[in-house]
Amino acid sequence: MGLKRLLIAGAAMVLTALPAAAGELSFWHAYAGQQDKVDFINFALDEFAKAHPDIKLDVVAAEQSAYKAKLNTAMASGNPPDVFYTLPGGFLNAFVNGGQMYALDADLAKDGWGASFLESALAQTSKDGHAYAVPVDVDSVVFWYDKALFAENGWAVPSSYDELLALAEKIKGEGIVPFALGNKDAWPATFWFQYLEMRLKGSGVVSAFVNKDAKAALGDEGTKALEHVAALSSKGYFPIGFNGMGDQEANMLFLNGQAAMMLNGTWQIGASADAPEGFELGYFAFPTVAGGAGDQSDVLAGVAATFGISEKAENKADAVTLLKFLTSSQVMTKYVELRKTMVTVKDATTEAAAGPVLFDISSKLMAEAGHLDPFYDTAMPPAATNIYYTSLQGVLDGSVPPADAAKRLEDALRADK
Amino acid sequence: MSTSKGFANSHNRAAFLFLSPAFLLLAAFVAYPVIYAGWLSLFRWDGASAPVFEGAGNFVRLAGDPIFWRALGRNLLVALSAMVFQVFLALCIAYCLVRIVPAFSRILLFFYLVPVMVSEICIGLLWRFMYNPYFGLVNAAFGALGLDGLKRGWLGESGTAFSAVVVVMSFTYLGLYVLLFVAAVRSVPESVYEAAEIDGAGHFTKFFSITIPMVGDAVRANSLLAIIGSLKTFSLVFVLTNGGPNHASEVVSTYLYKMGFGSFEMGYAATIGFTQMMLTAIGAWLVFRYLKRTGVGGRT
Repeated sequence: MGLKRLLIAGAAMVLTALPAAAGELSFWHAYAGQQDKVDFINFALDEFAKAHPDIKLDVVAAEQSAYKAKLNTAMASGNPPDVFYTLPGGFLNAFVNGGQMYALDADLAKDGWGASFLESALAQTSKDGHAYAVPVDVDSVVFWYDKALFAENGWAVPSSYDELLALAEKIKGEGIVPFALGNKDAWPATFWFQYLEMRLKGSGVVSAFVNKDAKAALGDEGTKALEHVAALSSKGYFPIGFNGMGDQEANMLFLNGQAAMMLNGTWQIGASADAPEGFELGYFAFPTVAGGAGDQSDVLAGVAATFGISEKAENKADAVTLLKFLTSSQVMTKYVELRKTMVTVKDATTEAAAGPVLFDISSKLMAEAGHLDPFYDTAMPPAATNIYYTSLQGVLDGSVPPADAAKRLEDALRADK
Repeated sequence: MSTSKGFANSHNRAAFLFLSPAFLLLAAFVAYPVIYAGWLSLFRWDGASAPVFEGAGNFVRLAGDPIFWRALGRNLLVALSAMVFQVFLALCIAYCLVRIVPAFSRILLFFYLVPVMVSEICIGLLWRFMYNPYFGLVNAAFGALGLDGLKRGWLGESGTAFSAVVVVMSFTYLGLYVLLFVAAVRSVPESVYEAAEIDGAGHFTKFFSITIPMVGDAVRANSLLAIIGSLKTFSLVFVLTNGGPNHASEVVSTYLYKMGFGSFEMGYAATIGFTQMMLTAIGAWLVFRYLKRTGVGGRT
């Protein structure tokens, strides 16, 4: 009897491992670990179960960094989930190049689904004119500061890069670190380089490489931007040992008032939620750089997460239904409310859901921007990202000359096949 | 004759049956991945598109990859430091525990073993806090001693990052070797020491002339363990610095991880892994042979 039961249980396990039948979908996502992410996905999946009781979901969740490796392994082994969370840019493009992503063009054209997204966001999940995933949220990078600390010291928000440097010198003189930076994982410093490149040369530099534009180049501006980055470090405007500190540790400096400003993404709003009493989060745009050829109103903003459907999925109609539901105005407004992140669905980033700071960024800074330039590090192919990260760390600690780093990065961007 | 043969056969069959689970597990989880890695190392593969056959291309690239060779050099430095600060130091400590302060040996051994019982990830995170340039204990200690000039961003500067990691490794793994050596040192017969004491030998002489030769087998086994562990070391480096800044503390395993799961160059990552395994096997064999020939352990 016991053995029989065991056999039945074993058979059941084997059966559940088989591909999903009609009305069943496997769905993988990375909304795990952080409470706001878990709250969001629980809300979305509960509502989906109510609205579509006929579609059964087999859900697998993993925390972001583990998720990337997990999804990649599943793709590599030829057993992708039907519907899944993925990052845009180089990560998604690798799957597209491998013929593993289902093109959503026909579905997006129906019922105004495609028109519900911001055009610039949908462009970031498309390749060669076809959309292979739907964008979920958008992060943009700005300077963050503590309004109370600035008022107390009589510091004014700078509007030009020279003013920013003068302010940094003054702040350093007070014994406070001008800019918090925790660059162990190397993405935080990329914002400095990218904004300087955007101001000096213009938006779309890395996108041009990704789109195989023959004229794509970092230009002399690339070296110049890296020289600026190196100068910030050698002048001591960043914390001691910043290349070994995590973003969390940098945040502790910033929230405790040991560092005055931080160039970081809009997720800083969530990260500042448990700031000490009296801390008042403010933001300002990356200042203009004198003589820069770029549109000085451009904003670094990119799609952070997307959902896609596997080409192998047998049940594409239900998969599309799930995606449509997840990107519906109702679910996305809840997303903004829970995660304090802007979304790509038009008009879902409401003032009530987003709160004053995020709504201000969304409705003013980003609405008035000449261009939104997506994150270089996610836009480029993963191998180039690795070189981008390490070169920038080297420039910051003075071990790699800016011109060498610019050349290394440009070579890596061209090497993409 | 035939009956005894039949007996042997059924005996063998039983033995094979009992061994088969272990064989199957080894085949599935050791042999298959090794062979697969060897095969994969001949391809260029991003994990998503179809693999492209490269032949020896990945190995040629590896031979000319300065980051890999520097990382391998760091693994050897880790091994060297492990021999001195883990194996040798542990033997000294074990001798002290057993011969000098036997009354406290249990409680002291417990303290040495605490880091062995905690997961490496936790230890790494703990040390990240200790090394934090602003809130950390290390800089605070230097400050308290009036040595403000020595304060620095230990994990974030290319000059100190690797040494900082090696210090953590030594603290973490030391206890394991102390435990292993305490057992070995205890097994040395008391009469040998008594004889030495009559001849007027002090602790120094007893340690080098009696303990080390008498626990030779343990020294050899522990050295091997330390060297193999050093060549594949991963978790502490991964948590503390992730090989950074700019590869300044990169070891082979973290480089492999970056290539595989950062750059998604699966073929090249397999090449690194396969080469690392071969080098580790050769290294272990050399160590084993060398230690045998020098006759450490008293019997050959």
